[in-house]
Amino acid sequence: MKPSGVLMITGGIVLVMILAVSMFSPGGGAETADRAAVAERDSTACIASKEYMRSHHMKLLDQWRHDAVREGDRIHETPDGRTFEKSLNTCLSCHSQNRFFCVMCHQYANVEPTCWNCHLLPTETKE
Amino acid sequence: MKQDRREFLRKAGIGALAGIGALAGLNPLSALEKTDMSALSGKPVPGRTRWGMLIDTRSCTDGCRQCVTACHRAHNVPDFGDRKNEVKWIWKSRYEQAFPTSGTQFQKPELLGREVLTLCNHCAEPPCTRACPTQATFKRRDGIVAMDYHRCIGCRFCMAACPYGSRSFNWLDPRPAISEYNREFPTRERGVVEKCNFCSERLARGLQPACVESCPGKAITFGDLNDPGSTIRRMLSEQETMQRKPELGTLPSVFYII
Repeated sequence: MKPSGVLMITGGIVLVMILAVSMFSPGGGAETADRAAVAERDSTACIASKEYMRSHHMKLLDQWRHDAVREGDRIHETPDGRTFEKSLNTCLSCHSQNRFFCVMCHQYANVEPTCWNCHLLPTETKE
Repeated sequence: MKQDRREFLRKAGIGALAGIGALAGLNPLSALEKTDMSALSGKPVPGRTRWGMLIDTRSCTDGCRQCVTACHRAHNVPDFGDRKNEVKWIWKSRYEQAFPTSGTQFQKPELLGREVLTLCNHCAEPPCTRACPTQATFKRRDGIVAMDYHRCIGCRFCMAACPYGSRSFNWLDPRPAISEYNREFPTRERGVVEKCNFCSERLARGLQPACVESCPGKAITFGDLNDPGSTIRRMLSEQETMQRKPELGTLPSVFYII
């Protein structure tokens, strides 16, 4: 093999190694603690469309739970740039206007989510 | 140009390698970023938050329970009124119960009778998280040993593992034993273990923990142990402090001035 060929192959291998290393560089994991102060609570518009929330609220809440409890990431950003705290209380700050908001539909759909074993239903607290 | 099969494959290979290498070159920042070894070990290191607490037992008044009340009210901690079912996040112990392995022979009688505020130590090397089979209790990146009540199966291994008795089990439904709900915080249910969370929900809003805020004697200092400029680090470097059962190697994040 010619010396120039050896050089080319070595160069290629080095470049691939650099690429491989770059793939394992640790992600930032920035703390979001100070951003929580700016998170909205009361808003006239929901974080997503009514249709999406009707069909996907359980998935969204499951994701929120994971992010907030396990990752400490408590800020939800909507596509239009509004921020909300990832908390069931964020939902309830509007949706407890109707104290039976969650219950009505769950009863109709005959589902029994375990949320309310610990989280306080609006019906359970005196206003 | 004459080209046999071997020559063609070799050139094609070199071309592919060069192409991938060029891609790496387009992203040079991440390519040569220094690897942060702390991300691999999970051990506390400078540069990352590690929340800690310093309790001055000299300015902590005997008989005062304001921090306990504030904490338990903020976190919907039930009060069953008896020792067997007791659930506690923060409480007061006698000196020799808090520091059972420190010498008590010929000690100042005042010290032996002193009440010491005790809570979860949020250890840097927590034994409880190792014992938990579901990772319901785990160490957060900011040093807080957190509980994920959604995952707790109530096996109580963590209670056996904790050398400080910082964990309580809900033998009964806690809801009837809560006098007044804090609507901002959930309750627990029967069959889960609970403990102090260093007020992570308040820290997220930029507030100090409830016990720190409610202390009338300003006996509790809270801050980042990994920040050399923080008040807590300055206080720790200026005076002699103690940790509970340091010989166990759990590296508690709660320090005491005796």
